[in-house]
Amino acid sequence: MSDLFYQFLSNTGYFLADYRHVVMIVVGCTFLFLGTAKKYEPLLLVPIGFGILVGNVPFFKGFGLGIYESNSVLHYLYFGVTTGVYPSIVFLGLGAMTDFSSLLANPKLMLLGAAAQMGIYFTLLGALFFGFLPREAASIAIIGGADGPTSIFLTAKLAPHLIGPIAIAAYSYMALIPVIQPPIMKMLTSKSERLIKMAPGREVTKKERVIFPVAGVLLCCFLAPTALPLLGMLFLGNFLKECDVVNRLAKTAQSAIIDTATIFLGFTVGCSTQADVFLTPKALGIFFLGAVAFSIATASGVLFAKIMNLFLKTKINPLLGAAGVSAVPGSAREVHQMGLKEDPTNFLLMHGMACNSSGVIGSAICAGILWSFFI
Amino acid sequence: MFGIENITANNGWAMAGVGATIVFIGLVVLCFVISQIHKILELWEQRDKYLNKSETQTHPKDIYKIEAAAYRQHHFPAAPELASIYRPLVEQLKEPFNLIQIFEITKKMDLPHPHLSLQRLQEADILVPQGDGTFIWNKQKSN
Repeated sequence: MSDLFYQFLSNTGYFLADYRHVVMIVVGCTFLFLGTAKKYEPLLLVPIGFGILVGNVPFFKGFGLGIYESNSVLHYLYFGVTTGVYPSIVFLGLGAMTDFSSLLANPKLMLLGAAAQMGIYFTLLGALFFGFLPREAASIAIIGGADGPTSIFLTAKLAPHLIGPIAIAAYSYMALIPVIQPPIMKMLTSKSERLIKMAPGREVTKKERVIFPVAGVLLCCFLAPTALPLLGMLFLGNFLKECDVVNRLAKTAQSAIIDTATIFLGFTVGCSTQADVFLTPKALGIFFLGAVAFSIATASGVLFAKIMNLFLKTKINPLLGAAGVSAVPGSAREVHQMGLKEDPTNFLLMHGMACNSSGVIGSAICAGILWSFFI
Repeated sequence: MFGIENITANNGWAMAGVGATIVFIGLVVLCFVISQIHKILELWEQRDKYLNKSETQTHPKDIYKIEAAAYRQHHFPAAPELASIYRPLVEQLKEPFNLIQIFEITKKMDLPHPHLSLQRLQEADILVPQGDGTFIWNKQKSN
């Protein structure tokens, strides 16, 4: 009987746990704390944080329980991540929720979305410099786009073994926007630049908003067909919203579909951070390079806005460059807050959203381009 | 392999350069296209106007002239007849007078086509400009 009892005990999580599990459980609890108490990106951090807890309960290998065991339930749920299904579905919902009016009213802000993607390419070089393999380097670089689904999508295609650390890094930095971006914005701009007021955009007609997703999908996907699973869904979602004849579908995409995908995406990504797979020197390198990527992306956008101001008659507020990363709507909100701090009558939110939405398109194109380099 | 050597060996410089260029070009093209959408829509909505213009090759002012000329030819009273209509009106005014004063009276009396009428009266030298924007009534011609 004692043997049976000892055998049972030896299969419990308490017996199998080591310091790595404890570390990861602390990380999971931190995510839950940030998501719930601090309300940093709760829609992402709560499922991921809980997934980290679930993924780091130690178990006896071979029971078909772990996410990396081919016959487990978690493994089937994780299928949506490894095949890129969840990111595509998230993009459908994102498109159905996004209003591109501010971008259509002021198209030159799209260039800031392009400039902020430079963080991706600098980080590509950085990751190669630190000895990562090219496919791994490309997957790490995409963190600079500050777009969780895009990072997961590309990593699933190029370096599936790094999905956990890359997804965690991408979502962590997205949640830490209020910490990372403001010092960079402040350092690179003068007070007078931060005070620049943006004129309200012209009124955008319904027809323009309907034509935009069609023009967008054709132009972007002809350029980078590998971005089709992301951009195709993004523009489809936007078309559903704007065409006004399939409101039921648009509402479902905006709510039930994206919510379901977000739960499974966040939870399974969290589960994929099993201590033995996650806590490696590579993961630390990924976290370091992710922070670099995010910072360079922010700085590139701000600096490019300043360069644009050298040639523009009507100056743009360079803070908007920071919203060129595709962390919707976090970075636009941060830009808006900083603008308000300098001048309580300076409202930059809608202009920031224009840069944000072009950042989403830009990072998806970058993912497509990087993937195509390795086909 | 690490460092610059690893970047070079894995074609990193080219990937970064080409990738950055492609995404920039892509978004610049998209930016240009979306900046033109409203102009194209405006053109499309006014296509009838432009199509008619190209068919007739006439300026809107010319159309007005043609219509006015046709109207004058078929329906409009001759200068003496107009003079007999406008003389009692002008007699109420002190010379020299402005055309605006006559327009106000014609409006009150609901007389048709005051602009065409005054133009015809000028052409017949019945209304004589004084060069300072005022006019006098040529009694000799109007009799």
